[in-house]
Amino acid sequence: MLTARDIMITNVATISGSATVAEAVKTLKDKSLRALIVDRRSESDPYGIVTETDIVYKVAAFGHDPKKMRIYEIMTKPCIVVNPDLGVEYIARLFANNRIRRAPVIEGKLLGIVSISDILNKGNFVEKPQQLYLEDRLDAAREEARAVCAAKGPTSPECAAAWDEVEELQAEAAHQRQEKKALNSLEAFCAENPDAEECRIYED
Amino acid sequence: MMQAQEIMTQNVVTISGSATVAEAVKTLKEEGLRALIVERRSDSDPYGVITETDIVYKVAAFGHDPKKMRVYEIMTKPCVIVNPNLGVEYVARLFANTGIRCAPVVKEKLLGVISINDILNKSDFVEKPKSEFELYCEENPSALEARIYD
Repeated sequence: MLTARDIMITNVATISGSATVAEAVKTLKDKSLRALIVDRRSESDPYGIVTETDIVYKVAAFGHDPKKMRIYEIMTKPCIVVNPDLGVEYIARLFANNRIRRAPVIEGKLLGIVSISDILNKGNFVEKPQQLYLEDRLDAAREEARAVCAAKGPTSPECAAAWDEVEELQAEAAHQRQEKKALNSLEAFCAENPDAEECRIYED
Repeated sequence: MMQAQEIMTQNVVTISGSATVAEAVKTLKEEGLRALIVERRSDSDPYGVITETDIVYKVAAFGHDPKKMRVYEIMTKPCVIVNPNLGVEYVARLFANTGIRCAPVVKEKLLGVISINDILNKSDFVEKPKSEFELYCEENPSALEARIYD
């Protein structure tokens, strides 16, 4: 699974919460960005974010003067932050659940920013769609199948159908796991020593 | 007041409602766009729109296969459309009230697309913010309150 670190943009601009909205607009235009991270006031202060949507919805739409309005009046703080190791599909789900489109990537310090566009342009969900919670669904299906077989008998058609479903999920999960499957110790040994006795494959 | 047609993006790409989401993603990437307009099936059919947010929220977030899902399953149709003569401040207010970020600009035919980004980058709301009273006076120059005595 690709992670936030793989798709994030590291060109991040920050702004002070006390800056004017006009300054934010200028920075956004100059750097062709769509959001700025609001500086923390101290180590214990949360991160904030101000986006072009905040500016248009809360300032332009009301004809307020951007030179007289301050970032702290329209920013989102605390904002949702993403860990660099979070998988892209989980980021998509997090964004969808919280109706957000971008978030700072943070581990100790600000590393970058990840957005809907990054997921679309750099994610691999088209080539390799990843279903989340597949292992959980597999566990549930297995429990279900055991219960059905206990109730209806191990040779009943319901029992067979229930296990068919488990098998299907298992195949799907195996398919998704394939890419990152680690070699077991024998495979690792054989990769290094293809001529060793234990590694011979008999073809008869 | 600046109008929608002055700041809209004229490079509009359309897609069929029956195309797959994978095709939509490919087009968005190739064209460097964030939304596509869904073609009308006839002259009486409404316009539709599909955005990158629709694709990420409804397909990527659930691990659905974009090659097997169709644009009509996730598009917004009918969508809010904007008249080319609408003032930019009103476009901003319309977007804020409806929670949208882009809309096709239509008068008889599709003229362009206007987005939050166009408002921020091309309009004059920083240099010339318009209060509600000013907007009212601009529209009703002969109203009592709008008269300016020299």
